[in-house]
Amino acid sequence: METVTYIILVPMVYVAFAVFFIGTTVRLIKIFREPRHPSTLQIFPEKRPKWLWAISDTFLFPTVRRHKPVLWVFLLAFHIGVFLLIIGHLELFGDFEIFQIIPHEIFLGKGFVGLVVAISLLYFLFRRFTSPVRELSVPEDYYLLILLFLIVLFGSQMDWARRWYLYGELGVEHYRDYLSSLLHLSPELPIEVTDTGHSFMLVLHVFFANLFLMFFPFSQSMHSFLSLPMNKLRRG
Amino acid sequence: MDEKTRDDLLNLFQSKLNEAMRFYLETCTRCGVCTEACHVHASMGQVKYIAAYRSEIVRRLYKKYFKGRGKVWPSVGEAKDLTDMALEELYEAAYSCTGCRRCMVYCPFGIDTQQLMSIAKLLLIGASAEPEILTLLADTSIEKGKSLELFKEGFLEGIKRLEADVVEKWQTQAGSTPIPVDAEGADLLYVALAGAHSIIPAAAVFNAAGENWTLSFFEAVNFGAFVGDPSKTKLILDRIVNEANRLKVKEVCICECGTAYRVMKQLSGKQPFKVSSITEVHARYLKEGRIKLDKTKLNGRVTYHDPCQIARNAGVIDEPRYILHHLTDDFREMTDDPRYNWCCGGGGGLVALGEDTLDFRMKSSKVKVDQVQATGAKILATACENCHTQLSNLNDHYKMGVDVKFLSSMIADALVQ
Repeated sequence: METVTYIILVPMVYVAFAVFFIGTTVRLIKIFREPRHPSTLQIFPEKRPKWLWAISDTFLFPTVRRHKPVLWVFLLAFHIGVFLLIIGHLELFGDFEIFQIIPHEIFLGKGFVGLVVAISLLYFLFRRFTSPVRELSVPEDYYLLILLFLIVLFGSQMDWARRWYLYGELGVEHYRDYLSSLLHLSPELPIEVTDTGHSFMLVLHVFFANLFLMFFPFSQSMHSFLSLPMNKLRRG
Repeated sequence: MDEKTRDDLLNLFQSKLNEAMRFYLETCTRCGVCTEACHVHASMGQVKYIAAYRSEIVRRLYKKYFKGRGKVWPSVGEAKDLTDMALEELYEAAYSCTGCRRCMVYCPFGIDTQQLMSIAKLLLIGASAEPEILTLLADTSIEKGKSLELFKEGFLEGIKRLEADVVEKWQTQAGSTPIPVDAEGADLLYVALAGAHSIIPAAAVFNAAGENWTLSFFEAVNFGAFVGDPSKTKLILDRIVNEANRLKVKEVCICECGTAYRVMKQLSGKQPFKVSSITEVHARYLKEGRIKLDKTKLNGRVTYHDPCQIARNAGVIDEPRYILHHLTDDFREMTDDPRYNWCCGGGGGLVALGEDTLDFRMKSSKVKVDQVQATGAKILATACENCHTQLSNLNDHYKMGVDVKFLSSMIADALVQ
């Protein structure tokens, strides 16, 4: 079991990040090196400044708000939540003054961010079981949602345990020790990370996150990078 | 399908893979926001007419042959082999899509279904499975460009016969030609369609405005674009570009034909002349006071159908409304936001396919009928030949009781001497 834990928490993490960064970069380079479309793909009437509207389309999803308002609420909650969780993970590597503009304990949101993201993911998943989204969906869509739900569930559970149930054996300082050692290429696994009551939560969280990172460059998750240039094309 | 054919078709697919196409093929999350966007789905209710479903038919081939995971793990994205059955699916997807791009307004990423359907159309051409009539029409247009001398005399005779009708609408000065053709140094080259209805009213308005114009030898319609053949589209387009450059005109004015206008405006590249739609030119004449219109000529409420290729896809939105406010005091919009005007259901070559598509066109455009009827209008104006034909068919089929009119004809009939 120790070996499995070690593989998941150390070499698999390096492989996952390598696949994620190299895969995403190579795929983006390949896409952006293709020739431009010979004519405009704009939709009219146009609004200026076009860049600002493209940014608004990308981050505020106004078309979803207009046509599927309930989905829009969950989409916005999910994306904001993911953004806050990314900040939370960065803070596990060290202190960032900029993130402490609003003083908070790590993670932001007292556990509720993970809860909101998990509920949003359940909504997305159940929505896929209903027509016509069911007929449009392919296995990738379900795999990604299930994977993300598992990541968020096990990750948030660690946060919830500390904050809501006063579980104190595995805490931020232990994550920091573990992640710093990975970052400095001298991996160490503190005993709290591998042998406390909630260690398996961490292992599962990292395992599913690794899978997600490795699948990311080859999946529709690439919309994270392509949405802005696409919306710019539509805005002209 | 044999291996050689499949390889040839995949090469055609590859030729379409530019940056924008990669965006569209990589990004769809199948969120279903586009569900209500397509007039065919809204009218007929079948899932296969949802934009994301159509796009996925092309995307599954892309996943199979142009993504590594198509070989490693094809089932994850339901990647699909290119087979004869796949070609049938492509046909159904491409020739039930009018290329109106209304779905692009809904999509959170702005995926252009028309572009993805252009891949389907090109593959169908490669497999000789496209509607033959469109290719024949495109070839005829190209041939006319190559052998103009053969057509010239007959064309000039035909034009001569229309002159009296032009003068009836607007009396030209003695000695001037009502329909000038091949006039080098003219300011404006008017590219019409094959048919008196596209020439007579336009000529009358040009003469009324005192325009220094000339008529093109060629018809504006681009069947190459309908059938989705980029090389034929270009050859048909080049006939007009070459003529405009030979005559040294300052402006090329495209008649009421949505596809022709969009192709000329967006694909002709940098040229010494500007490209306008006839609606833009007419609005300009009104603004400059070069023509005046009589508001009493029209009886009953008027509504306007925005041709998708001219309005949503090329930006001519304010001009027809400006003209209509000079034609009537009883104008009613179909939608608050012109981006949401339903397609008439005749684009993408469907009207050109005539009776073969009539039943589908009628069934798939019920929402357009409802939209028109909700305005209570008696006159339904539009500025596109395809739309006019389709709306007239709908008018007959659904007994809408409206008078479908070209905007240019309404202007010509209301000219004040």
